[in-house]
Amino acid sequence: MEVQRALERLHMTIFSQSVSPCGKFLAAGNNYGQIAIFSLSAALSSEAKEESKKPLVTFVAHDGPVYSLVSTDRHLLSAGDGEVKAWLWGEIIKKGCKEVWSRHPPYRSSLEVPEINALLLNPKENSLLLAGGDCQLHTMDLETGSFTLRGHTDYIHCLALRERSPEVLSGGEDGTVRLWDLRTGEEVQTIEVYRHEECARPQNGKWIGCLATDSDWMVCGGGPALTLWHLRSATPTTVFPLRAPQKHVTFYQDLVLTAAGNSCRVDVFTNLGYRAFSLSF
Amino acid sequence: MSTESNKKRKPKVIRSDGAPPEGKRNRSEIDLASEIEERRIQSCVHFMTLKKLNRLAHIRLKKGRDQTHEAKQKVDAYHLQLQNLLYEVMHLQKEITKCLEFKSKHEEIELVSMEEFYREAPPEISKCEITMGDPHQQTLARLDWELEQRKRLAEKYKECLASKEKILKEIEVKKEYLSSLQPRLSSIMQASLPVQEYLFMPFDQAHKQYETARHLPPPLYVLFVQASAYGQACDKKLSVAIEGNVEEAKALYKPPEDSQDDESDSDAEEEQTTKRRRPTLGVQLDDKRKEMLKRHPLSVMLDLRCKDDSMLHLTFYYLMNLNIMTVKARVSTATEIVTPVSAGYVDLLSPDMILSCLYPGDHGKKTPNPANQYQFDKVGILTLSDYVLELGHPYLWVQKLGGLHFPKEQPQHTVTADNSLSASHMETTMKLLRTRLQARLALTKQFASLEHGIVPVSSECQRLFPAKIVSRLVKWVAIAYEDYMELPYTRDIVEAGLAEDTHLYYLALIERGTAKLQAAVVLNPGYSSIPPIFRLCLNWKGEKTSSNDDNIRAMESEVSVCYRELYGPRPGYQLLTNQLQRLCVVLDVYLETESHDTSVEGPKEFPQEKMCLRLVRGPSRMKPFKYNHPQGFFSHR
Repeated sequence: MEVQRALERLHMTIFSQSVSPCGKFLAAGNNYGQIAIFSLSAALSSEAKEESKKPLVTFVAHDGPVYSLVSTDRHLLSAGDGEVKAWLWGEIIKKGCKEVWSRHPPYRSSLEVPEINALLLNPKENSLLLAGGDCQLHTMDLETGSFTLRGHTDYIHCLALRERSPEVLSGGEDGTVRLWDLRTGEEVQTIEVYRHEECARPQNGKWIGCLATDSDWMVCGGGPALTLWHLRSATPTTVFPLRAPQKHVTFYQDLVLTAAGNSCRVDVFTNLGYRAFSLSF
Repeated sequence: MSTESNKKRKPKVIRSDGAPPEGKRNRSEIDLASEIEERRIQSCVHFMTLKKLNRLAHIRLKKGRDQTHEAKQKVDAYHLQLQNLLYEVMHLQKEITKCLEFKSKHEEIELVSMEEFYREAPPEISKCEITMGDPHQQTLARLDWELEQRKRLAEKYKECLASKEKILKEIEVKKEYLSSLQPRLSSIMQASLPVQEYLFMPFDQAHKQYETARHLPPPLYVLFVQASAYGQACDKKLSVAIEGNVEEAKALYKPPEDSQDDESDSDAEEEQTTKRRRPTLGVQLDDKRKEMLKRHPLSVMLDLRCKDDSMLHLTFYYLMNLNIMTVKARVSTATEIVTPVSAGYVDLLSPDMILSCLYPGDHGKKTPNPANQYQFDKVGILTLSDYVLELGHPYLWVQKLGGLHFPKEQPQHTVTADNSLSASHMETTMKLLRTRLQARLALTKQFASLEHGIVPVSSECQRLFPAKIVSRLVKWVAIAYEDYMELPYTRDIVEAGLAEDTHLYYLALIERGTAKLQAAVVLNPGYSSIPPIFRLCLNWKGEKTSSNDDNIRAMESEVSVCYRELYGPRPGYQLLTNQLQRLCVVLDVYLETESHDTSVEGPKEFPQEKMCLRLVRGPSRMKPFKYNHPQGFFSHR
């Protein structure tokens, strides 16, 4: 019914997206558990019509929202409520596509199924790192096997991989950024962001929503202000002057790109802390 | 004869030479006188011989002539005979050829073929032995047979004619008998009326209705027939009646077979209208308008009765010049309806509103017949919506029930009433009408309660909500469409096309402590199959709407998108109240699960009383709005 469809679209949130390995398709996951595949080549081409901007195919992947999507060179991995599913990129645009495999990381409680907020691919070891509602980091070998890394006291929002040393950073609702060594599975360092006065913003909360790392440097933000940290000394160096809690951040060469999620702008900063420019929708 | 004459001549010649010499003159004189006498006698004899010869020659000539003549005559006679004979011959030949060419009439008669003839003819006629050999006899025999057969057939024909006459006479007699029966039957029916009433079998009434129905214009007739059929077959609670002035109808609108009378009638009418010359042009125009919008004197009334004895009375009119049908509606209930008294209250049961958008988009303000636009231009009518209050609404479903179809793509010259169109729409429309009446009655009752700040939740729906709800509904008012559009937080609804001027708009205010939640509600006329849509604005520690707070968005989603759980028992009319109740619940959750701001002194305004597994979840950090029954805790979707 079209009213229902219009209502759904008004209340839809897209949580995740991932580009196919060939670069022609974009997969997007929304809060109804659906994944839509768009053809980027058609939509960006010169003869793009209105229909090119509609998805090629939409299917229900999970019961709950699809919070995270990541692509390997052959598969699209989607994470929903407590499970990870893999879809073949080659098959995904055909209707009635089924997942190649579906795995559940082991969970403690069975009353509520924790969500998976972040997926991270570790290409060197061909493993997948998951983190989410059960406050734990899981590593899943893309064939089988998993082991857990504990530590957070509240659920984990985001993950980032440190390239030089095989470490992974996780930021969570409890306001901490923790570094983990992948080989030993132990926590190396904890940074309690909210305790630092320069960046803490208690009125927004202490949760860390986004994380990006450049091996020596790290940017994190969320409830506290977006701050650039030097990892070895674990000290904040620059606080970026943005009011809204940031949801996404990436390093790009020497610049930091960040987006808040409830404005239409992507702000670009240099590491020295001033806003270079903003990209806006 | 000739030799004689030659001899006689000769002597003459000789004699003349033989004259004696001159010696004797005296004897000569006497000899001479005797010679002269002799000669004279000879000459006389010669003369007589000459005459005789002449005579003989003549006679011979005559004889010869006569003979010739005779012979000639004979020849002529023969010739004549010959001619006669030849003529006869020719004549005879002609006759022969005529005879030979003669086509006897008998050849024009189609005789039966040989085999058949020999098969069928009785032996005394066919006489095989003779006829086989002799074609002449054969033909004769065949002709005989033909004659025989024809005589027989002529007799049969006479017999048949006679029997036909007899039968015709019998028919006449029976007809007379039957026509005498008719007045007797009607007198019996009259006499049986009291019996019918006693037994509740109103055949007479139905008969009268059908009588009146014959004077209905075609679309109303189609509607009447289809509705009666539907009522008898499927829906005992539907009753159909015809109202209006039959005499006027008879005078005005003769049945289509009498088309000539129709023309003369309309001519007479035209004359009458033009004779009435009014002084001012405006009044004339007014008259013309009235004439154009004239209704047929007869109308069809449909009464739909529902389970709780509330009734929807629909009166269908036909506008003759515009060839469209309109409907007027009225609601009557068994018990008194408590109508809300707030300012700006829109009566959902008003005749104007109750049938609006029965089918999506069918607002009934414009005439469905595209040809009417030209007619309106002539008399200066802008749009039919100015006149709907008195004429009734020309909804599209009304036209369909009357079998009138106005296709947009190919405008037709004359749109005639179609039975099958009416039949195909009858059932769905009646069901929709019933649902509409029930929904509106339910809504009116709910509004009356909501005005007093009570959200009526029936016992079957209690399981959808927790036992303790602290937030309360403080205000419920109707607002205008323009006011709704001006609210800043409703923009996306308007842009998505979900808010139109045919919808109804309300503002609800829910309060708890210092928190005030304003909810703007769009109510689609097609409630409850189309759910109401809520848009929220929370005033607590700042103004929060879905554009700046994801949790408000989640609350709106919980109420507007997940509406299917809130329908309640089957007809689902409790959707609105359940949605309002759920809104109170999610407001409670929102306020109680708000994380405590450690920088501000003092305890939390709303201590957490709801049982929640997790307070925050997902990258958007949603609060747990979903209520789980019977465990009674809140979780995330």
